[in-house]
Amino acid sequence: MEQEDLIKKWLDNNLNAQELEAFKKLDDYEDLIRLSDSVMRFKAPEYNTSEELDTALSHIRTKKQRSLNWLKPVLRIAAILALSFSVYYYTTTLDTNIATLAAQKTSIELPDASLVSLNADTKLTYNKKSWNKNRDVELHGEAFFKVAKGSTFSVKTPSGTVTVLGTQFNIKQRNNYFEVVCYEGSVSVSHKTDIVILKPGNSFLIIDGKLIAKEKETSLNPSWINNESYFKSMPFALVINEFERQYNVEINPQNIDLKQLFTGSFVHDNKELALKSITLPLNINYSLQNNSTIVLRGE
Amino acid sequence: MAKDISDNICDEHLFSSVFIKYSKNLHDFLYYKFGEHFNPKDKVQEAFIKLWENCAKVSPNKAKSYLFTIGNNLMLNEAAHQKVVLKYQKEKPKQYTNENPEFILEGNEYMDKLQIAISKLTEAQRSAFLMNRIEGKKHREIAEILSISTKAVEKRIYGALKQLRKDIKEI
Repeated sequence: MEQEDLIKKWLDNNLNAQELEAFKKLDDYEDLIRLSDSVMRFKAPEYNTSEELDTALSHIRTKKQRSLNWLKPVLRIAAILALSFSVYYYTTTLDTNIATLAAQKTSIELPDASLVSLNADTKLTYNKKSWNKNRDVELHGEAFFKVAKGSTFSVKTPSGTVTVLGTQFNIKQRNNYFEVVCYEGSVSVSHKTDIVILKPGNSFLIIDGKLIAKEKETSLNPSWINNESYFKSMPFALVINEFERQYNVEINPQNIDLKQLFTGSFVHDNKELALKSITLPLNINYSLQNNSTIVLRGE
Repeated sequence: MAKDISDNICDEHLFSSVFIKYSKNLHDFLYYKFGEHFNPKDKVQEAFIKLWENCAKVSPNKAKSYLFTIGNNLMLNEAAHQKVVLKYQKEKPKQYTNENPEFILEGNEYMDKLQIAISKLTEAQRSAFLMNRIEGKKHREIAEILSISTKAVEKRIYGALKQLRKDIKEI
């Protein structure tokens, strides 16, 4: 037993001096030392920790780079591409809408540099995507077009279609009212089954389905472009409608013949003056009920 | 060294310190247990890379047992309990000065016997015994590496010694 303890302590390098002496006196001492020394020759190959650490670190770093620096940016780029493409696709195939409210005017440039001025309470729709193939716009209301030369330019309105190549013209399409005035070039107007070609100064006017002849237009622009509405022998009802659109008010006519013809104009930036312009010539009294209602009373 | 303040070892410095602390022990353990046939150095690398990949799940105080389990498993996958034959260095230790051919022959014979005897030890005995004898590790250190008790280590080492002496005499 004592021998076994000594050997165990020797194995653990735990012998004190006295025990070492005792251990050396063991019969097996030579044998054990020889065995122990010989075993030393089975030593594992040299292990260079720092070298191995470098290998491991370079390995995990390249892995990290591969997963962080390569995959993530690619995914990000892919996401951005997918997103921008869908936004691009969505916006370009969508129709472009431009609308003005009452008492509001605006001017826009179409993709081919054609200019369109919109009068009050007007809606214009066109498609940017198919613009190169067909220059089509849809119009509800009144607009003045300066069309750049090029392929056929069509304006579709509920009352008829106006087709041109490159010119300047005004379209006014309101309830029961359709007027096209050509200021430059030539304009083709199709209304129901009729097709009319307009030369500069010519107009095409339909009121309540009846074609009405008009004198030659001498101005270069429609009057509303210059903030003025001009009427020549127009039923008074149309004048009132236009007034309502320009000033965003409601007009309440009482005891007035709305079919009587009116010739004259009113400005768009002075309500009092404009009211006088349309009432005085016809001997009409007006009273402002509140900001949005005007009562006209005939005598 | 491995600190408990961090709950994972995803930090490169922490990883390096774990590597410095355990890689040599792991390598020696794998070598003595399985021999060099299955390249213990590569297995150490593999085990540490696995540790890095799973660094978020392994806390520093679990790293050692994680590494040894992985290393051991990697070896077992390939080795499948084959006979392990360790090589001994052929050059003679310096203290043998009186080298007559007979002595050399006897020495070589002894080494060959020892080699066979070592390969006959169980993996547990061999790894514990050789780490103790060759790497000079105390029983307590080996117990820590293998996650077993000091008593068990003592038993393994003493058992290995007894077995070797018996085998050498018989062969």
